[in-house]
Amino acid sequence: MTVGPEKLVRRLLVLACFMPLALTVGNRTIAKQETPPQSAGAPPPITFNRDIAPILFRTCARCHRPGEAGPFSLLTYADAKSHARQIAAVTKRRFMPPWLPEPGQLKFADELRLSDNEIARIQAWVEQGTVEGNPSDLPSMPKFVEGWQLGKPDVVLKATNSYALPASGSDNYWNFVFRAPVDRTRWLKAMEIRPGDKRLVHHANVLVDRQQNGRRQEQEPGDGFGGMELTIESEVFDPDSHFLFWKPGSIPYVEPDGMALRLDKDTDLILNTHLQPSGKPETIQPTLGLYFTDKPATLHPILLQLENDRMLDIPAGDKHFVVTDEFTLPVDVDLLAIYPHAHYLGKDLQAHAKFPDGRSETLIHIPDWNLSWQAVYRYSQPVKLPKGTTISMNFAYDNSDGNIRNPNDPPQRVVAGNRAVDEMAHLWLQVLPQNSPQEKDDPRILIIEAMSRHKLRKNPEDFEAHYNLAALLMGRGEISEALAHFTQANRIKPNEATVNNAFGAALLAAGRTEESVPHLTAALNARPNYFDARYNLGNALASLGDFRGALAQFQAAVRINPEDANAEANLGSAFAETGDLKQAKLHYERALHLNPNHELARENLQQINSPH
Amino acid sequence: MGERLPTLRLFSRFVVAIVLLCTALVVSTNSQGLAIDLAGKPFDPFRAAPGKVVVLIFVRTDCPISNRYAPMIQQLGNDRVDRAAFFLVYPSRKETAEAIRRHLKEFGYTLAAIRDPQHILVKQSAAQITPEAAVFNAKGQLVYHGRIDNLYEDFGHARKQATTHELADAVEAATAGKSLSASATPAVGCYISDLE
Repeated sequence: MTVGPEKLVRRLLVLACFMPLALTVGNRTIAKQETPPQSAGAPPPITFNRDIAPILFRTCARCHRPGEAGPFSLLTYADAKSHARQIAAVTKRRFMPPWLPEPGQLKFADELRLSDNEIARIQAWVEQGTVEGNPSDLPSMPKFVEGWQLGKPDVVLKATNSYALPASGSDNYWNFVFRAPVDRTRWLKAMEIRPGDKRLVHHANVLVDRQQNGRRQEQEPGDGFGGMELTIESEVFDPDSHFLFWKPGSIPYVEPDGMALRLDKDTDLILNTHLQPSGKPETIQPTLGLYFTDKPATLHPILLQLENDRMLDIPAGDKHFVVTDEFTLPVDVDLLAIYPHAHYLGKDLQAHAKFPDGRSETLIHIPDWNLSWQAVYRYSQPVKLPKGTTISMNFAYDNSDGNIRNPNDPPQRVVAGNRAVDEMAHLWLQVLPQNSPQEKDDPRILIIEAMSRHKLRKNPEDFEAHYNLAALLMGRGEISEALAHFTQANRIKPNEATVNNAFGAALLAAGRTEESVPHLTAALNARPNYFDARYNLGNALASLGDFRGALAQFQAAVRINPEDANAEANLGSAFAETGDLKQAKLHYERALHLNPNHELARENLQQINSPH
Repeated sequence: MGERLPTLRLFSRFVVAIVLLCTALVVSTNSQGLAIDLAGKPFDPFRAAPGKVVVLIFVRTDCPISNRYAPMIQQLGNDRVDRAAFFLVYPSRKETAEAIRRHLKEFGYTLAAIRDPQHILVKQSAAQITPEAAVFNAKGQLVYHGRIDNLYEDFGHARKQATTHELADAVEAATAGKSLSASATPAVGCYISDLE
């Protein structure tokens, strides 16, 4: 058989068979559109080149191109034609492009929303028979950067071990731990998250883990660990916060000057990924690209969290269960970005601002929440929220069997938790607190304080709020109230190493040395390699006159961290107090080697070298 | 090639031939198809499994929902290998035999795979979507076509696990020789008509 006739026959076969088929399925629209009306007054047909390509290029092609998250490319007429009805269906339902918020007064940067007119145009194009149109109408293809979107990163980190994603099953959550490659504090202006195969990763979030909490959950270093939600503790008051979020098609965000992210030595970066099986076994090995800047942060945004997990107790079958929270700002802030978060029962998620003058504004409204398309939404302009503005969240949940995403079949009572079958009611806001001439305190401290007190009103047993409040009160020198909150935090979690150490340190600062010892000891029982607790216990024992005990603690401390000048100096002093001047001298010298300006070590060394 | 093609070779007669062919398709559900195997030879799944329940599953290499079903489809076929003949049907004209072989390997498919570039089996099965299943009883009558199960309710609306299993139920009924009137439950996925 020759090629030509076969081709021709096939084409004709389709056309000839089309009519009876169209009739049998009763698809009158298609049959009618076989010959589009061409009368003088009728609008010209919708064409790919003139009407459709600009829409695809603007909203689809960033993901629907080779190597990106979209399962097929949408770059050419042939691409679009071979998915035409699917494009019509998914745009009509607004499933694609994925963009959850309703349009409102406030605009988001990089909105991926189609207008009603664009959706109508796509429907008409398909109904009219997917006309290609005049080649000269075709706009030029958008230029995409291949590989790293911001150019070659200063440092590329690759996950030590890959994660094996099974071929089937429900959604999967995996955390990768990266060691920050810095030997001193550096400033990051951007981070590009490359989650591996983009078709498998629904979204990914990086958390800055300054205390290496995450790596303790790894079975072996580099293994990573499972889990949908992460809580990262911080032992020092550290409200610097940035959203480091990846979703398909997202371009890495470059922080504006002055808002760089601090990266300290011994910090871990934890990449939390939401994965969906593809039908075949896959391996995921993400990389992070770091872009440094010499400009340290001068502006310090913080993340505010509204939540009400305690209200989350959704009866089985409840179609409309509402969770609310509201928080009144103690200072003026610029709202930069917003991140609503619920799991599979979340339905309608809203946040509003009520200004002191009585006006209200919708900050975000997601009428059909879909966890799979969760995202951080950045406002195109910072939203000014003056002191006294009340931010409220209003999240509705559907725990009926009518919610097909319901992970329980039949529906069950659901409460708050970190698992996919549990729920969450969280609203994160990235705000930049504004300095006010009337306030002497750092506005961040005022926000954290107000937020912690707000949390304690909601839940007097909120461990984190007690701890955070205690830590910031300590920082402000309000020791007695700090001790009260440390006491509460310690009562709620008696064996928590961080709290025991901070509580012990606070008691030490308050001169209640004997009381500090059991807490510092408890911290070390929970975490034997806890440098700060060793150091603090050494100091406590020394001030109680137990120099042998102190010596042992400082020795352990310098084993854990051989580069801490204070620990070396104190070890020197402990030796001196126990009569071993030779060892004392050695450790003072080490302290001075680590920090040539260490006054105490210098003075003590001089004293040893020139005894009166 | 098969017995039908000679009439099509002559240009003066092809219109008549096409009309005849289409008539045959609409009227008879077990007419011999012009599907082809991966070697490019005409292949008739009904002839390959005479007297057996035949299950056709329409898939596409670039359809994410159809791919996500791969392990389930393979398992369904494995579990019923004695009672029914399962065939994966690739309706795209553009997907080459080589691309299909690669797809089979990647997704761990060992089921027989055939191509249906002329949509003969598509029409016989009234299939509209990938992934979609068609079940023919031992007499070659179409007894079910539509979704495999209810994992997907709509685009982006997936259950954690399916709660109804239409394909498995239909195969069960057909192999038990129960007389079912042809039933259909619409599938969610990629439109086969986009491939025309």
